[in-house]
Amino acid sequence: MFQKTKPFTAFVIIVSVILGIFIFFPLLWMINTAFKPAANTFDLYFFIGPLTLANFKRIVTDAQILTYLKNSLIVSFASSFMATFVSALAGYSLSKFRYRGRKIVMTMFMMSQAFPQAILLLSIYLMMKGFGLLGSYWALLLSYVTFTLPVGTWTLKSYFDQIPTALIESSKIDGAGFLRTMVQIIFPLAVPGMISIAIYGFVWSWNDLLYSLTLVTDSAKRTLAPGLLMTFVGEFTTNWGNMMAASIVVSVPVVLVFVFLQRYFIQGLTAGGVKG
Amino acid sequence: MTNHQRPRGLTDPQAGFLLVIPGLAVFLAIIAYPFLNSVFMSFTDRNMMRQVWGFVGFENYVKVFKDIYFLDTLKNTAIFVVCATVLPFCLGLAWAVVLNQGFKGSEILRGVTLVNWIIPGTAIGFLWMWIFNGEYGVLNGILSSFGVKVNWLGAKGTAMMVVIIARTWQMLPWYMSFLLGGLQSVSLDVVEAARIDGANNWQAFTKVILPSMASIATVVLVLGIIGNLQHFDLPWVMVEGGPARATTTFSIEVYRTAFKNWNLGKAATIGTIWAVLLACFSFLYLKSIDRQDTD
Repeated sequence: MFQKTKPFTAFVIIVSVILGIFIFFPLLWMINTAFKPAANTFDLYFFIGPLTLANFKRIVTDAQILTYLKNSLIVSFASSFMATFVSALAGYSLSKFRYRGRKIVMTMFMMSQAFPQAILLLSIYLMMKGFGLLGSYWALLLSYVTFTLPVGTWTLKSYFDQIPTALIESSKIDGAGFLRTMVQIIFPLAVPGMISIAIYGFVWSWNDLLYSLTLVTDSAKRTLAPGLLMTFVGEFTTNWGNMMAASIVVSVPVVLVFVFLQRYFIQGLTAGGVKG
Repeated sequence: MTNHQRPRGLTDPQAGFLLVIPGLAVFLAIIAYPFLNSVFMSFTDRNMMRQVWGFVGFENYVKVFKDIYFLDTLKNTAIFVVCATVLPFCLGLAWAVVLNQGFKGSEILRGVTLVNWIIPGTAIGFLWMWIFNGEYGVLNGILSSFGVKVNWLGAKGTAMMVVIIARTWQMLPWYMSFLLGGLQSVSLDVVEAARIDGANNWQAFTKVILPSMASIATVVLVLGIIGNLQHFDLPWVMVEGGPARATTTFSIEVYRTAFKNWNLGKAATIGTIWAVLLACFSFLYLKSIDRQDTD
């Protein structure tokens, strides 16, 4: 695409060095700090010097943080599963069925991403409070489904669009009802799409701060993001070693999902896009 | 021949509608109703500290527009949205050009870059608070050997800059990912043709490569702007919208008004104004797509 002229080579080298440092150094510095003993937290050495696992030990043996971790896992898995299921049903319906109001439903789903979350939150909070759900997982579960629903429905609809309608017709002629056709013939063909939507939903739920900060008032049900914020910010002296170790602990699950399911992940990324 | 009866059960339209009901129910309960209810609330004096509330008409709107801080919030949001979109877009494009060279390990480098984008905003906030820490941060540690020490997050002038840098770091991989895809779909034949006509690298880039990436660039910019207009995590985690409201954007202001000051009516008003701005922007975007189609 580009001729390897001297100015271009110089551009590539300069950009690589500057952006390389900007992109990779901060994370390395976080890891570096997390491995430093408490006495050396403020020393500026880079991995070459005393290192320890003490910060991680403190984080993973802290009962409160383990509770947050458990809650995050429950909420993220459950909401991602629910969202994928609901999106698959809606996507299939919008792709292969024709009925009155279909266009309106599609337009509504498409628009829903542009609503500011914070304004929805005001009423969601009152609603969940009214139903007495602020101390349970349900307030978060239901809210998180809406993060994934629009993107999920659209992605899976385009998946189903590629599946020939003749397949449904022939399954019908063989005597299968619409449920059996859907579950046994059509859904298996859309599994890659469903996985990428499940990942999208998982990462969204795992990373969310605004909703979990507001909709969970019971510390026994609090998730990791707000939990860590309340543990570390606003104290008189901040324990940076612990804080960096905790940041790594909260990042590991989504990084693992990313490493092992990268192919699906990129699909979900290009399908959905917006991350607040 | 046996007389074929219609299969028992639902007709196609019935089945289709049945399948969309769960999604529709969630949409109506968690998006449509809350939105309408919040707009409705902006015309009331609802407050979480009181049980009684009533209609006040446009009083909240008058108050908000007269509020000396409202223009500040608007300005902060504009600065944040513009800088935190343009900066990662440009840097992401530069990084995409580098990764597109296809050197050994560029695939892996692309994957590793994305890690910055997927880790939780809370962790990213902690990370940049630490790097820019006024007492012990690594940046001041390096600068102090030149005799410079800045209270980055504690000063009004620099706090927004730090938040924008953190957001740029978070979003750069996302832009890179889209723009690299865009670069790879540019037709090499057209670039070659421009070369034969004597175009140098810069001319080929600005006259051929960028224009053929225009549609993907528009999409990422608009999605990026919508994301930034909504963004909450970093300014809240790092400085709680401070110091002295220097990083208070719309989402921070709505959150603080509702859940720190418990003034739901006012929060709903600010939120509604913000939603209208967002809608105007989405409308302009749709119009610009229309124009592209008719050209």
